[in-house]
Amino acid sequence: MKEYFNNAWSALYTIFVGMKITFKHLFVPSVTIQYPDVKLQLPERERNRLYVNMDDCIGCDQCARACPVDCITIETVKSIPGEDLGKTSNGKKKALWVTKFDIDFAKCCYCQLCVFPCPTECIYMTDVYEFSEFERNNLIYDFVTLTSQEREDKKNNYAKFEAEKAAAKSAPATKPIENQETTKP
Amino acid sequence: MNVYDLIFYLFAAITILSAFFVVTTRNIVYSAYYLLFTFFGIAGIYVLLGADFIAMVQLIVYVGGILILLLFGVMLTNKITNVDIKSGTIHTVPATLGVALFAGILLASMWNTNWKNVNSDIQAASTQNLGFLLIHQYALVFELLGILLLIALIGAASMARK
Amino acid sequence: MIYDFFFRITDSNIIASIIQSLLPLFIFILPFALFAVWLERKVSAHMQDRLGPMRVGYHGALQTIADILKLVQKEDIIPNEADKPLFNIAPVLVFIGSYAVFAAIPFSGAFIGSNIDLGIIFIIAASGFVVAGILMAGWASNNKYSLLGAMRSAAQIISYEIPTVLVVLTIIMITGTTNLQTLSEMQTGHFWNWMILGGPKFGIAKFIFIPFMIINFIIIYISTLAEVNRTPFDIPEAESELVSGYHTEYSGMKFAMFFLAEYANMFAVSAIVTALFFGGYQSPVGYLGNLFGMHWLVPIEQFFWFTAKGIFFVFVQMWLRWTLPRLRVDQLMAVCWKYLIPIAFVNLIIIGLITVL
Repeated sequence: MKEYFNNAWSALYTIFVGMKITFKHLFVPSVTIQYPDVKLQLPERERNRLYVNMDDCIGCDQCARACPVDCITIETVKSIPGEDLGKTSNGKKKALWVTKFDIDFAKCCYCQLCVFPCPTECIYMTDVYEFSEFERNNLIYDFVTLTSQEREDKKNNYAKFEAEKAAAKSAPATKPIENQETTKP
Repeated sequence: MNVYDLIFYLFAAITILSAFFVVTTRNIVYSAYYLLFTFFGIAGIYVLLGADFIAMVQLIVYVGGILILLLFGVMLTNKITNVDIKSGTIHTVPATLGVALFAGILLASMWNTNWKNVNSDIQAASTQNLGFLLIHQYALVFELLGILLLIALIGAASMARK
Repeated sequence: MIYDFFFRITDSNIIASIIQSLLPLFIFILPFALFAVWLERKVSAHMQDRLGPMRVGYHGALQTIADILKLVQKEDIIPNEADKPLFNIAPVLVFIGSYAVFAAIPFSGAFIGSNIDLGIIFIIAASGFVVAGILMAGWASNNKYSLLGAMRSAAQIISYEIPTVLVVLTIIMITGTTNLQTLSEMQTGHFWNWMILGGPKFGIAKFIFIPFMIINFIIIYISTLAEVNRTPFDIPEAESELVSGYHTEYSGMKFAMFFLAEYANMFAVSAIVTALFFGGYQSPVGYLGNLFGMHWLVPIEQFFWFTAKGIFFVFVQMWLRWTLPRLRVDQLMAVCWKYLIPIAFVNLIIIGLITVL
């Protein structure tokens, strides 16, 4: 009988203890962050979307080779002598036209391995992490600053230059080559 | 024919139709739910007769208690996830005889009783009078009924414990 | 009074009563459900140190309206193997049960749906339909979880109806009335006339009543909490065990109807507790309307006090929900049959003796 009343009393009493605790929590400031309106300060070494500063890029392809998932594709075209491509910010002379610098962020694993080998520190991590897309193709970012017309021009220029050079080189020995070629098939 | 007559006929129709379906439908669960409407209709008729306490008790006891127990029984005893719970007709001839006999008794008592006529416009609160009657005039019957129910309860409990 | 007003306008007692019977739905239950869903989410959030809905309207005030709009647009899915007629009737039946209860609740001195003598007994009777509807929903869904939920719910509701009725009986014994309007009028004046503090009659009995009344109040609060399937008695819905119990298969407006019925029920039981123990629509300290001689203000104040008390008890229900874990089925039955019913019986006998002596 005593146990019966003890049970009833302790049940009732513990309910009130619990209610007191929850009531106190009613006035504890909430820990929620209103995300799109309020954003957390990211840590200093955060790894998010990559950015390439094309002014500094010398097209050395080291980042593409370092990438473990091959998400960076770089194509370069050699410059013609006489063309001035300018200098990078740390004083290196640029020698290549970068006609393609695509990073596929659908593949990117944010390992930051591409950042370290860069001799000019032109590829680095930014704090942008909201870049979801509806189409996977939209996640392929093109960093080249040249217009497509310019890219074609550079390629054609170089091809022309090469052809001219080859022509100039082989001009004295034009005949034998032609002979060889004709005999080949 | 005023509105109250209309309401009466509505409740009467509900009662009779649903009672008819209780008997004729082949699905036991449907029968149970038609019974719900039967009880509801009868409660409505009680209210129209001015017997509001009986109506409420009708709802509490039959809808809230007996019908729920009935449904429990149906749902627990049959394969519970099967929608088709069927009931068939057996022993047609004895059943007809029994029903005819019972109907005869009912009709006879209906025609031979000298019914009291009360003006239906006056609908005094019946609860208080009912209480007085139960405690003063019919106290013995009331207590006996209580004891009967208590015995039934104890019997059920002792059977359940076996 | 409101009935008389509509009667004078429309000159027809049928139209007047139809308008009056629709009033609680449109001016009370729907806004209350909208508010209560928001309140529930806010209370739960703040008790867990969160914020809850914040984006739609000021502090998410319009969130429930947005949710309702979403539910209206949703496809009405009926499972292939469900029992279609019963599946469609069930939400209506549940809603009828919880809406009928509002007919006898005295919102204020001037507005009660139907001032019947058997108010409180009518409320108990009408809630029987809810059980039938819940069982119907569970069975018609043709889903194991739904049926289990419905069975648990029905077993729970009919078990916990007993302590509720016993407590109601003690109140009827003391006051000698089952009319909720009369009951509320009796507890007029100040808060020491409320039933929880021994009732309006002053005397030695009043002070003896107080401890028993508090026990009574605790019993009826626990058992009505169980009757509306709220945590800690939410084993019929038990998300972690039964998906969401009897309304698992429902979607769109039918689900909204269950939801509305649940919140209407929450207020209804709070209103019963208020009317029985906390003076119904009576103000605890007197009326401004009487003070300034503006008697038309009194019913409005009464409505305010009634909703305030009701919403307070709804808040306590929510508070309990986020405090206590769910009971097991055997514990649930033990609480009812081993604790609440015997204590309520003893209370009934003691209070009966005090009233007679």
